[in-house]
Amino acid sequence: MSRKQDKLAQQVLGDRTLNKKKLSTRIWNNRGYYLMFLPVFIFVLIIYYWPMLGIRYSFYSYKLRDIHWVGLDNFKALFGDKNFWRAFKNTLELSITKLLLNTFAAVLISVFINEMANLIMKKTVQTIIYLPHFMSYAVVAAIFTLFLSPSSTGFVNETLKHWGVIDKSIDFLHNKALWRPIFYLINMWKETGWGTVIFLATLSGINPELYEAADIDGATRLQKVRYITFPALGNTIIVVLILNLAKVLNMFEPVFVLYNTRVLDVSNVISTYIYNKTFLTPIPDYGYSTAVGLFKSTVGAALMLACNEASKKVRGRGII
Amino acid sequence: MADKTKFHKKSGVHAFDVILYIVFIIICLIVIVPMWKVIVDSFNARGVYQFRLWPKDFTVNGYLTIFTTNKLYRPFLNSVITTVLGTLIGLALATLGGYVLNQYDMPGRNAFSMFLMITMVFSGGMIPEYLVMKQLGLVNSMWILVVKHGMNVYNLVLMKNFFEGIPASLVEAAKIDGCSPMGIFFKIVLPLSKAALASIGLMFAVTIWNDYSTVQIYIQKPDQVNFQYMLRVMVMDGDTPPSPYKNISQETLYYAAIVCAILPFMAAYPFLQKYFVKGVNVGAVKE
Repeated sequence: MSRKQDKLAQQVLGDRTLNKKKLSTRIWNNRGYYLMFLPVFIFVLIIYYWPMLGIRYSFYSYKLRDIHWVGLDNFKALFGDKNFWRAFKNTLELSITKLLLNTFAAVLISVFINEMANLIMKKTVQTIIYLPHFMSYAVVAAIFTLFLSPSSTGFVNETLKHWGVIDKSIDFLHNKALWRPIFYLINMWKETGWGTVIFLATLSGINPELYEAADIDGATRLQKVRYITFPALGNTIIVVLILNLAKVLNMFEPVFVLYNTRVLDVSNVISTYIYNKTFLTPIPDYGYSTAVGLFKSTVGAALMLACNEASKKVRGRGII
Repeated sequence: MADKTKFHKKSGVHAFDVILYIVFIIICLIVIVPMWKVIVDSFNARGVYQFRLWPKDFTVNGYLTIFTTNKLYRPFLNSVITTVLGTLIGLALATLGGYVLNQYDMPGRNAFSMFLMITMVFSGGMIPEYLVMKQLGLVNSMWILVVKHGMNVYNLVLMKNFFEGIPASLVEAAKIDGCSPMGIFFKIVLPLSKAALASIGLMFAVTIWNDYSTVQIYIQKPDQVNFQYMLRVMVMDGDTPPSPYKNISQETLYYAAIVCAILPFMAAYPFLQKYFVKGVNVGAVKE
């Protein structure tokens, strides 16, 4: 506001010194705020900006203490590596499928909750289905690894055998065909409930007069869901998808806690690829791992900016 | 005729409600049964690992093992310390930054804002970050959790959005009375933001308490790891410290450890649910 006034004053008076003097005074007047921003500034500089300097290593070979310039060799090796492209493909497949499944389930359950007339039941269900969100991925993985274990202590296998559904234990998490469906199910178990929060907030904002008008017109309950509730969610669904699409490449912990060497083909994502190349290799080449990271950050930044534009179009404000 | 349609409509509504109740009960069972089973088996001395929803040989030795074995309670304490400290630092930085970003007549505000936003789009990546932390001496130290999660730009923006809702007239009045920026911040803005502090503080606490991958990447020293890491090592790698109690199976100990890993938030959750949920709504549906 005052900046506008300054500009106006400058135009009217044509006096540049007035503005200059004012700027220094303004800086002096705001000195308290600069002081308050200082700790934030230092933290961000160290945690976010200092590592950005390290990106230069993607043009170096960096093994132990031997660092030398190799130009674009790391990127050539990277683009020629079959495992890298598989990891890239896996990242997209796993995170997009997970996103769509979780969103679909969350929308469906939100509509159910919205239809519930009994308030106590409604609150109870919400309280219960939010719970798994607050468990860590390490805990969730531990629970389901123990449950799905093929040994005699695995509750799922033992129960299925007891009921006569199967004869022999199934090694769920080491089976290439089963790993992905189980991964999606576990993620749905953990995040669907929490995903309903945003949709329920939208639904509570629907004007009740719409439903009353529909009642007067003799609409059935299903018709009201079909023609009022679902359309109201459309915009929110798009926003949720855009927000999450921007972070698609970041998938790390959900896979990291559940994958193993036997299902690497279907589960290795870019972040776990970087991790394996760096921390599970006897003499890692930090230069190469940094190059993979740079590729990921660049594509990720492009995605983020694209989604930001999309978000501005859909809801009039960006995500960053 | 009219009666007949009315009857049909009523029974239709009735059937719909019945379906709703059934669906709700199924959903709740899907969520609760695994959790219940974990709790039950944590009290189960010799596991009968079938569809039993009540412990067979009741024991609390799994829990006693955790709180008497140094290798297990030490990580638990580390988790508590890093979570408390990280949350406090995180809240301090988020409130300071969020407050300063709201000073629209401060020269350089846009530059500060840009300075923070860039970090949300682009990052150095896992390896350069690792090399920096190594230089700072934070590899093999639990303080990495505090440093890494203490600064969170997303939470800072949430805080800023919340501060925007504080009436400007209050701040103006304090300014006229000669209150300094710091004074306004501590005496007016913070006391009005208790709800936001609670929900954003919880977001910090959940993130730090639940972090496993940072520890996996940065820490190897057994006395510096957190509880999530210890749990993971026990269950996945079978690296279990010997229990002083001989009458329990390993699984009992695992399940007891799982319960301990989720206990703090599960215990607080019923009382703080509104704060847990609020953070999401502040950030996501601000239209």
